Amino acid sequence: MPDTSSKAGVNPDGTIDRARAKRMLNPFDRYALQKALEIKRDSGAEVTCVAMGPPPAVEVLIEAFEHGADYGILLTDKRLAASDTLATAYALHKVVHYLGDFDVILTGLQTTDGDTAQVGPQIAERLNIPQITYCEHLSISGRIFKGQRIVEGGNQEIEVHLPVLITVANSATPLDYKRFADVAAVKEFLRHPEERDKRIRTVSLDTIGANPNRTGLLGSPTVVGKTWKIGDVGGSCIVFKGESIEREVDELMERLRTDGRGVEELINA
Amino acid sequence: MPNPHNVAVVAEQFHGSLQQITSELIGAARFLSEKLGTGVSCFLLGHEITQLAERLVHQGADEVIVIDAPQLKEYATLTYRRAVIGILEHLGTPPQIVLMGSTTIGRDLAPRIAAYLETGLTADCTEFDIGDYEHKGKADPSKTGNFKNILYAIRPSFGESLKARILGPWKNPQMATARIGVVQALPLDTSRKGKIYNISVNFKQEDLRIKVLKTVRDVSVSVNLTEAKVIVSGGYGLGEPEGFEVVRDLASVFKNSVVGASRRAVDSSWIGYAHQVGQTGKTVRPDIYIALGISGAIQHRVGMANSKLIIAVNKDADAPILKFAHYGIVGDLYQVAPLLKKALIKMGKEKVQ
Repeated sequence: MPDTSSKAGVNPDGTIDRARAKRMLNPFDRYALQKALEIKRDSGAEVTCVAMGPPPAVEVLIEAFEHGADYGILLTDKRLAASDTLATAYALHKVVHYLGDFDVILTGLQTTDGDTAQVGPQIAERLNIPQITYCEHLSISGRIFKGQRIVEGGNQEIEVHLPVLITVANSATPLDYKRFADVAAVKEFLRHPEERDKRIRTVSLDTIGANPNRTGLLGSPTVVGKTWKIGDVGGSCIVFKGESIEREVDELMERLRTDGRGVEELINA
Repeated sequence: MPNPHNVAVVAEQFHGSLQQITSELIGAARFLSEKLGTGVSCFLLGHEITQLAERLVHQGADEVIVIDAPQLKEYATLTYRRAVIGILEHLGTPPQIVLMGSTTIGRDLAPRIAAYLETGLTADCTEFDIGDYEHKGKADPSKTGNFKNILYAIRPSFGESLKARILGPWKNPQMATARIGVVQALPLDTSRKGKIYNISVNFKQEDLRIKVLKTVRDVSVSVNLTEAKVIVSGGYGLGEPEGFEVVRDLASVFKNSVVGASRRAVDSSWIGYAHQVGQTGKTVRPDIYIALGISGAIQHRVGMANSKLIIAVNKDADAPILKFAHYGIVGDLYQVAPLLKKALIKMGKEKVQ
C-alpha cells in the first residue's frame, strides 16, 4: 500500500498515484505478521506472505523476510489495477488455492488507506472457511483453534477447527516482531538468484488461473464516483501563550464563554 | 403500495437489547426510501427477540422480518450469515439497498454477505444519498450506462484527508456499512404501525462450524469513544502512566465524557488500546476534544480532526496540534489541567444560576 505519511505520489487533487507512491507494509499487517511468526515459533509452521501490487511491492515481502517470514509470493498483473475489495479478495483467494494447503490465514484488521476491513472476510467467504475478525488472542492445539475477538465493550471466545482465517486486532500483541529479525541472512539469500527464486515467487493472473474479468475494473462491483478534499479542519488555531498559565486559561475561558459553541452545556451541573 | 423491501437494515441486538446503530441505520434508510418512494425493511436476528420488532417499527421500519432461532442466541459469523442469506432468498428480488453497522458485527458479517452475493459493499460511510451516475468507462465498456436513483455511499478515505462517493450501480443490493453516531436516528414514534413476520431458516452443518464459548460484554464499563460527547485525551507528553489521573480528572467535569489516548501512550502501556484515538485506533468526532500532551502527528489527527471543538495543551509551541486545534494553550499540562478544570466547573455553575 502507499505510505500515507510520505508526500510522494500524492496528486495535487489529493488522489493517490499508487505507482509513484512510496510503498510500505500496511501497519495493521505488522500485527498479523507478528502473530504468524509467533505461531511459527510455537509450532514450527512455515510462514508465507502474499502481496498484491506492482512489481516494486516485492519490497514489502523483503520487509517480511527480514522479520522472519519463510516464503513470499507477489501477485502482480496490470489487469488487477483498480480492484475493489471484492475483486481483491477474488484474486487473493486464487493465490491461496494456487499455494495449496494451509492451516491459518492471517490478515491485518484493515489497511490504513482504504480502512474497509473487508478483504479478509471476503477471502474467507470465497474459501468457505470460518473466520475470526478482531482477533486478540489465539491458541492452537492439534486441529482446534481458539481465538478471542473484540466486541463492543468486551470480547468473545471462539473455537473452530482449522483451517481458519483471522484478522488480527492491533491490540493483540505489543509490536516487537523485530526480535525475530535476521536481516543479514535475508541480505545473503537475496544475493543468490536461485535461493531468491526459491523464496520469492512472482505470479500473474494466468499463473494462478484467475479469471481476469473478475479482477480490476471489470471485476469490481463498486466505483469511486467522485472524491473531494476535506477542508482543512480546525482552521487557524488561536493559541494562548504568555506570561502566566493563569492568564492563558482565563483568556481561553473568555473565548469559550463568548464563542457560542455551547461548552457550558456539556459541563456536569 | 411502495415496495417495503427496497431499503433494508440488518438490525443489531445484543442479548435482547437493540444497539444504538440500528436506530441510526433506520433513520438513514428512511431518508433514502423517501427519496426512492419505497419503504424500509428491517431484518431482526437472534433468539427470543421477536418482542424487539415493534420497537424497530417505532424507529421507522415499515416491515420487520424476524428469524428467531436458538442457533442465533450468540452472534457467530456463519449462523448470522445463513440467516441474512435466508431472508434475502425469501424475498426473492433483492432489496436495492442493504445497510449494516460499522461495528464488530457489521464489519464481520457484511463483507461475507457481499462476497456471497458478488455485490458491492462500501465500508464506514458517514453520509448517504440517492442520485444518478453516468459510467463512461473506456476500460470496461460493458459497464457503461446512465444509472438513475442509485445509492451514494459517502465515506472518508486515505487517512480521512479525502471524502469519496462510492457507487455500485450494476447490481442490487447495493450494500454499505455506517459508522456509529454519524447518521441521525428519528424520534421514536410509538403510533407507527408496520408489518412484522417471522420466517425460519435451515441451518446447515457448515453453518455451525464456529463455536462461541463465551461472550463478555459490559456496556457500562466500555470505553465508548465513538458515542461520547466529550473526549479528554492524553499523550506521550504526560510522561508517565499516572498522568492519566489528570486526564480522568479533567474528563470528570463533563457529561458523557471518556478518556482517550494517543498511540504512543498506548504503546507505552500507560493505558489500554480501547482508549486509542487515531489511524490505528478509533476515529472520533465528539463535541469537545481536549488533547493533553499530544503533539498531533497525522496518525492522531486523522482520528480526531473532525471533532467540533478541539482544545490542545502542549509545552511545545511548535507542536502540529497547535496549528489545527481551535484553541491551544502553550504550557505544562500539569499546571494547565487543574486550572482549566476549576474554571470549567465555575462556568458550569454560572450557567445554573
